[in-house]
Amino acid sequence: MILLDSVTKKYPGDNSPALDSVSLHIEPNEFVFLVGKSGAGKSTLMKMITKEENPDSGKIIIGGIDLDYVKKRHIPGYRRRLGVVFQDFKLLPRRTVYENVAFALEIAGMSGKEIRRTVPKVLELVDLLDQAKKFPHQLSGGQQQRVAIARSVARQPKILIADEPTANLDKLTTQEIIQLLKKINDFGTTILVTTHNENIVNNLQKRVITMKDGKIVNDQKNNGIYNLDATPIPKAPARAVQMPGHALKKPVANNQTMGQVKAPRRKVI
Amino acid sequence: MSEQEMKQAGKEKKLKKVTKKSLRAMQRTKQHHPIRNQARIAKYGAKGFGRNIWLSTAATVVMAITLIILFVTVVASVILTSTAEMMKDKIDITIYLKPGLSEKVLSDLKTTISNDSNVKSVEISNSEEEYAKFLAENEGSDEIINILDDEMKALMLSKMQGTMRIKVYNVDDLSSIKKIVEEDEEFKFYVDKEKAPTYDVNQAEIATITSWARIARTGGIILAAVFLVISILIIFSTIRMAIFSRREEIYMMKLVGAEKSFIRGPFLIEAEICGLIAGVVAATVSYLGFEFMAPKLANYGIDVKVITDILESNKLILVYLAFIGLGIIIGRLSARLAVSKYLNKS
Repeated sequence: MILLDSVTKKYPGDNSPALDSVSLHIEPNEFVFLVGKSGAGKSTLMKMITKEENPDSGKIIIGGIDLDYVKKRHIPGYRRRLGVVFQDFKLLPRRTVYENVAFALEIAGMSGKEIRRTVPKVLELVDLLDQAKKFPHQLSGGQQQRVAIARSVARQPKILIADEPTANLDKLTTQEIIQLLKKINDFGTTILVTTHNENIVNNLQKRVITMKDGKIVNDQKNNGIYNLDATPIPKAPARAVQMPGHALKKPVANNQTMGQVKAPRRKVI
Repeated sequence: MSEQEMKQAGKEKKLKKVTKKSLRAMQRTKQHHPIRNQARIAKYGAKGFGRNIWLSTAATVVMAITLIILFVTVVASVILTSTAEMMKDKIDITIYLKPGLSEKVLSDLKTTISNDSNVKSVEISNSEEEYAKFLAENEGSDEIINILDDEMKALMLSKMQGTMRIKVYNVDDLSSIKKIVEEDEEFKFYVDKEKAPTYDVNQAEIATITSWARIARTGGIILAAVFLVISILIIFSTIRMAIFSRREEIYMMKLVGAEKSFIRGPFLIEAEICGLIAGVVAATVSYLGFEFMAPKLANYGIDVKVITDILESNKLILVYLAFIGLGIIIGRLSARLAVSKYLNKS
């Protein structure tokens, strides 16, 4: 569903790349957490997926679409196929809850009748049907994020990406939002969430991808836990280090030093 | 090419085909129901105007004031020009002829001078007419009683000069007329040597009025152009500020996949509504203001007829349309420019 192959991105003026040859494969219907410290490259990766940024090299394929062929004029159409949730909700401040959700359907050219049928259903899903006529500033943070989720799933996208969706929310609301995302995932939507919240990652026990310095350093496919200090996965072919006097039996990755704990090797597509 | 490379190439080809198909499908949705899209744009534009009422009102007021200033500039230029033209039109050249000339002589002189291309019209009056004119001008005066007898009349007629009043097209260049009066044999003979023609006397006056007319015309055009540019800049800045405060909205809409036209549309509609209201307000204020000022200006001898004729006829609707049209066009252009700035950022 989401495939990145050796994606590299370096911003002008930066010494090190924001993404350094990142390869990643997310299957349909997966729920994936993307974790890492600030500046690890999570947001850049998300921006690559939403086509806000283009990679310097490498290939990105989202939902069967090779992003190399997505020209500027295709971007709105491409984005309509994704569901996107942001840390700061990004709701239209001068439109009501109903209009914010309807907006996602209007831009897709849906008829008024279909919109009138769909929006209440989606608002019911996020438990906000009674707030439909309110404006975003009249809602709590959690409610606003639920509106944003409703807007992103209204078109029933196959992929939903959420960039720090719970960063501005309290503990209880965070749980609500994560449960909501899980519910959406149960309906068959592939979900990629970036977060700093250790609890939600550990409680949900889904796939966890850890990033550090623009690289994927750990990819726990099942029952993943939050661990930012995971050792980098060796990517270069292993080679034997010839020590004076005797040869090592086991190969050592070229970016590892003797005595380091070696991470289990994972197949990266 | 190895088998693996061929397999890879086949995969790439298939991916390209699938991608292109998906992209074509996306483009088709984009073109769906243009009328429905326009209706939605209009709806959100009108709602946006209401929901941003303070900002909309401020923009409308600024727009109306600038349109009024523009109107005042144009009107001032037009009435100044027409007043100067009117004054120029009043200027004529008087040539004094010898007393007691016959009708035929006067008629010959008129024909000669009329041949000059600068001459608009010639009025001649013989001694009789001058005498009648004198009586009319001094009617009711005590002294007039004394000169009413025949003897006195005959004496006066012998002294009363025939005059020739010439109106010209171009008061700036009287050389050709001057040449005829000074060099034509007939004129040389019949012109009164004692009393010089007035073209020299009026020269200073003519020069002043002419230069005023020129200043009014060219200055008016330049000033109107300058004010038009200033108006556009002021309206543009106001709308740009209004849109600047909403740039995040533009970014949000882009992120959820709205087409550019769908994002831009409501902003254009809002600006057009501002322009429409500002146009109506400015036209009404300008009309009422002019109606109030016109009699006062006319008292000072200013020619307001050109504008009054327009405002008091069925052409008033055209004035309204011009105001509204200008408001809408400037509003729309400004909004388009301002939105593009944020829309074209990735």
